[in-house]
Amino acid sequence: MIEQLQQGDESAFKKLVDDWQDMVYNTALGIVKHADDADDITQEVFIQAYKSISSFKGDSKLSTWLYRITLSKALDHEKKKKRKKRFGFMQSLFGGDVEEQVLAAEFDHPGVQLEKKEKARELFNALNQIPGKQRIAFTLHKLEGQSYQEIAEIMNTTLYAVESLMGRAKASLKKELKNYYDNNIAEK
Amino acid sequence: MNKQEQINKLVEEALTSFDDAKRAAAKPYLFTRIQARMNKEEESVWEKAGWLITRPAVAFTGICLVVLINAAVIFYSKATIQVTNTEVAVQNTTDEFSYTVSGIYDIENTQP
Repeated sequence: MIEQLQQGDESAFKKLVDDWQDMVYNTALGIVKHADDADDITQEVFIQAYKSISSFKGDSKLSTWLYRITLSKALDHEKKKKRKKRFGFMQSLFGGDVEEQVLAAEFDHPGVQLEKKEKARELFNALNQIPGKQRIAFTLHKLEGQSYQEIAEIMNTTLYAVESLMGRAKASLKKELKNYYDNNIAEK
Repeated sequence: MNKQEQINKLVEEALTSFDDAKRAAAKPYLFTRIQARMNKEEESVWEKAGWLITRPAVAFTGICLVVLINAAVIFYSKATIQVTNTEVAVQNTTDEFSYTVSGIYDIENTQP
């Protein structure tokens, strides 16, 4: 299939999209927490994959390669969004749209069970507060069901480093959530 | 249940809220949309160039550059003309008053 893709075979490209679209979309959605943005990133990932398939040497699995592109695109998107946020105040002065920030805080992942949606929303908000690598490791493990070994390959690091990242991610999330509930319950 | 226990329970519930979550499905017709986007990207190279040129800042900078180049050309050509005129005037005066220093050879071999 990779050879066919490298030769520019359209049917092979269609198969690649059909096989991996949900994986790419779900990963992007877990990072950017916005359905339209995740859809946009998914398209960009496959276009990038089509253009740079010649550079794929098969050292890693195709899925690992796609995960790496997805994470890179999603994180770039986040950086751009943060840059926009810095000028949010100026934008609001000139009638800009601040609704997007509110939407991010109210994000509901479509795959989460209905009775857990509220708690998942709070977890997503807490995830926004922890360092990027911890967030990626946690999201890949919990939302994509990737093993620590697979995460290590995707993040190009060691198994020990992933275990450490996951430990720190859980601790950071606990701290963030405790602060959140502490303030929330006190208000009530 | 005291407040701390309640908080711990809520934290645990939140941390396990992703458990058994299903993978979110991409929107339909993704391949068709990717193809359309790739075609659009190819077409839009010239559109982008046009868009870039017509941006006010770029257009203004371009006009300023053209005006500056013109002004520079006019200024330097004027300076060159002035230098040339001075050289011509000196040459005319030299010719008129025969400033040329004659050597002894010229005096002895005057032409008829």
